[in-house]
Amino acid sequence: MSILSYVRAVRAILAVGLAVRAVAWGASAALTMVIGTAIADVITPLGVAVRAALLVVAIAAGLTTAAAFAWRDRRVLSLQRVALWIEERFPSLEFIVVTAVETGDDRLVPRAAAKTWRGTAVRRATRVVRAPAISIVAAALILLALPAGAVARVRAPHRGDSLERSSRDAASGASRLTPLVAVVTPPAYTGERPTTVDEPSDLRALVGSTITFRGRGSPGGVVVRRGADSLVAASDGDRWSIFFRVDARPSALRFSDRNFQRIVAVEPVADAPPTVSLVTPAHDSVVRAPAGRINLSAEASDDFGIATAAFEYIVSSGEGETFTFRSGTLGAARPNARRASMTTSLSLDALALKPGDVVHLRAVARDGNDASGPGVGVSETRTIRVARHDEYDSVAVEAAAPSDADKSVISERMLIMLAEALQRARPSLGHDSLVSESRNIATDQKRLRRTVGEIVFTRLGGESSGEEHTDDDSPARAKTMQDLLARADSATNRSTDPIDFSGGESPVVAVNKPLLEAYNAMWDASTELEIAEPGRALPHMRRALAAIQRARAAERLYLRGRPPDVVVDVSKARLQGKDKGVSSARRSSGALDSAARRRLDRFEAVIEIANGNASAAIDSLLVLRIDALSDEPAFAAALGDAANAMRGGKSAAVTDALARARRALAGVPVAHDSLTRWGIVP
Amino acid sequence: MTSEFVFATAQYESGDWDSAPLLPANIIDTIARYTEITVAPTGVVAALSDDRMLRYPLLYLTGHLPVRFTEAERRNVKKFVERGGMLFVDDHNHDIDGTFHKTATEEIARTVGPLAELPNDHALYSAFFKFDGPPTTSHELNGWGDNLVHKHLLAVQRGGKIAVLFSNKDYSSEWNYHPESKRFLTVDNTKFAVNLIVYALTA
Repeated sequence: MSILSYVRAVRAILAVGLAVRAVAWGASAALTMVIGTAIADVITPLGVAVRAALLVVAIAAGLTTAAAFAWRDRRVLSLQRVALWIEERFPSLEFIVVTAVETGDDRLVPRAAAKTWRGTAVRRATRVVRAPAISIVAAALILLALPAGAVARVRAPHRGDSLERSSRDAASGASRLTPLVAVVTPPAYTGERPTTVDEPSDLRALVGSTITFRGRGSPGGVVVRRGADSLVAASDGDRWSIFFRVDARPSALRFSDRNFQRIVAVEPVADAPPTVSLVTPAHDSVVRAPAGRINLSAEASDDFGIATAAFEYIVSSGEGETFTFRSGTLGAARPNARRASMTTSLSLDALALKPGDVVHLRAVARDGNDASGPGVGVSETRTIRVARHDEYDSVAVEAAAPSDADKSVISERMLIMLAEALQRARPSLGHDSLVSESRNIATDQKRLRRTVGEIVFTRLGGESSGEEHTDDDSPARAKTMQDLLARADSATNRSTDPIDFSGGESPVVAVNKPLLEAYNAMWDASTELEIAEPGRALPHMRRALAAIQRARAAERLYLRGRPPDVVVDVSKARLQGKDKGVSSARRSSGALDSAARRRLDRFEAVIEIANGNASAAIDSLLVLRIDALSDEPAFAAALGDAANAMRGGKSAAVTDALARARRALAGVPVAHDSLTRWGIVP
Repeated sequence: MTSEFVFATAQYESGDWDSAPLLPANIIDTIARYTEITVAPTGVVAALSDDRMLRYPLLYLTGHLPVRFTEAERRNVKKFVERGGMLFVDDHNHDIDGTFHKTATEEIARTVGPLAELPNDHALYSAFFKFDGPPTTSHELNGWGDNLVHKHLLAVQRGGKIAVLFSNKDYSSEWNYHPESKRFLTVDNTKFAVNLIVYALTA
């Protein structure tokens, strides 16, 4: 065996010893942190988050300590350092070991001396491990001496473990209401998991949830009161438990154990009904013939899941006082998902509609709420009306669904897409191709413009001109919005100033204004397209599309003509006199109703209590909050914030929350001008 | 804002909101006859989807067809009653089995709250003239609708005040005539409208 092999063996022994020491000191540091946390938790309860953070800190401290020791002793890996360590222990060698390691020539080193090095190294390695080992043993003894559950709360912190905590004040006369754990189990239909809350004071739970309160000790004498109702605790091993079902009513649960009391506020959260939107048909429309199928599609979503969904229709027939109704459902489905898409189609033929009938369509979805529901969500309602024969040319006929002939008209959006494609392909197209393609789009653009013009003329009471059906745009044609309006007004004799929209504009003209803008923009677009400039035509086409969209929105107006304008001659009706008849005394509204006044008084009483007894004030705030939850939600929310801030000792936040609460209840200061609120005689 | 009362008819998208076009003028005439309330000589149409509907203390809503509010209409109606406004809904079908009744009550319940019977000694019935309950109409037993004489009006109350008043009495038909024709009546059948308006303005 060479001298270098001996030196390597010594290096290995020393390295193992130092590594064990580093790990042992690291473990000792981590255990010390755990012990400190557990003792602190026994003295005063630490939250789950604090304990989880301290556990991470303990592990980090252990790793850091171990790493620091390992870094400090890293030179043990150097053979020269190990050789020097041997020379230090055996001075008689006179640096021949170091020389041998550096030169690789070990002929000068006596083999007999080398055999004692390993023993020296083992003793040294054992000695360095001794101190941290003692430290670990001491820590282990302290851990064993700690109360049961104290270490578990630090080692694996989780919600609800406050029942496992040992405290200095755990005596037979102590309150069994502390610690208190609540397990909130949502209704089965939600599929949500139960949640656990330590030391609950203010719980929010879905209506239909069950809450199990647990505490330590025997159940005898532990009672919960909710108004006039009482719930008695049941035995649950060495603990007591009380089962409570959440209904739609906010509750202040008063726990009592001999002279000990605590209040837990339970705020019910209602399951939101599904949200439903009808995608198609996108808008109301009027059909000339009750034939064909209408595609129906809708989207629905819910916070927990949609159980059933369907389309509903009502057919109303008749007029004046003689209306009859039929109703039914279509496309019923059971999605059992949080989002659902519904599609079906409605056959107008099957409904046997007559002129004047109106079909009202909507989508309806119900959630799976079997606790307080089901929640029902409905979409907007769309109407499909069958025009009467005598109203085809009246203002009451809105833009009809496209007839077979109209279906061939390419929409403005499609024209834009074609123009954009042509503009993109322009560099690679020859001049003749570009001109030909651009003029094709211009032809469609002109056809669409004529259609828009016809709609406007029809609505304004004019006859659809035969001129409009020719492909020739003669100079006599209305080229601008003003021209068209002038002609329209001429046909209807509505006003002398065709573009005076600010004054006595009739609703019909107002509704048609966007279409007239579209007409004008289409004219400019077709002009540019005719000279093969699709890029310059595009802004006009987009303007036309935007105007058509606005017109579509305006279509939602329920145009049925104007009711007769009757102007009452008030003076004549009063016979120029004073009040007639015998009236009772008129009462003026009070600034604050009596219920709000009483609530404000209670609120002020709580603030008085807060100066002397914060705990009582917190309870009072919670009770007041429960009372106000249903009709003063903003006030209740501010009270909840105030109670939480008071519990956390945050005085600035308390002040802010109380100020918000007062403002929510009593209103913000109002500056009155000379006019009354509703504009009535004071 | 003006200092006069303006009678506003609610316009909604889903139905024939203007089915009683002469009613506003008739009620304005009645207000002018019996009270000193400064009243605008013509009514206005207030679209429920338009925030300007919040300017009026009382909104009159009627029709025969289904009542389905849009989101904007529902939002504004909710805001309207929260601000103390009063919505008077009258079933022009006078039919509790009719579509207007079913859809309107459902929509009101969804938007404001459930309707309940209004006691016949409510302050509404003594706000100006004294009534023992809602006055009957000649249309209640004319063969149309449900052929019932409704003993109560329905209401949603907020803070002790009527927020939504619902009627199956068909006042929309009863009061829908030109004010000049009032002189032919032995008993003015529009007096209850005065109570409605005075209550809406003072409660």
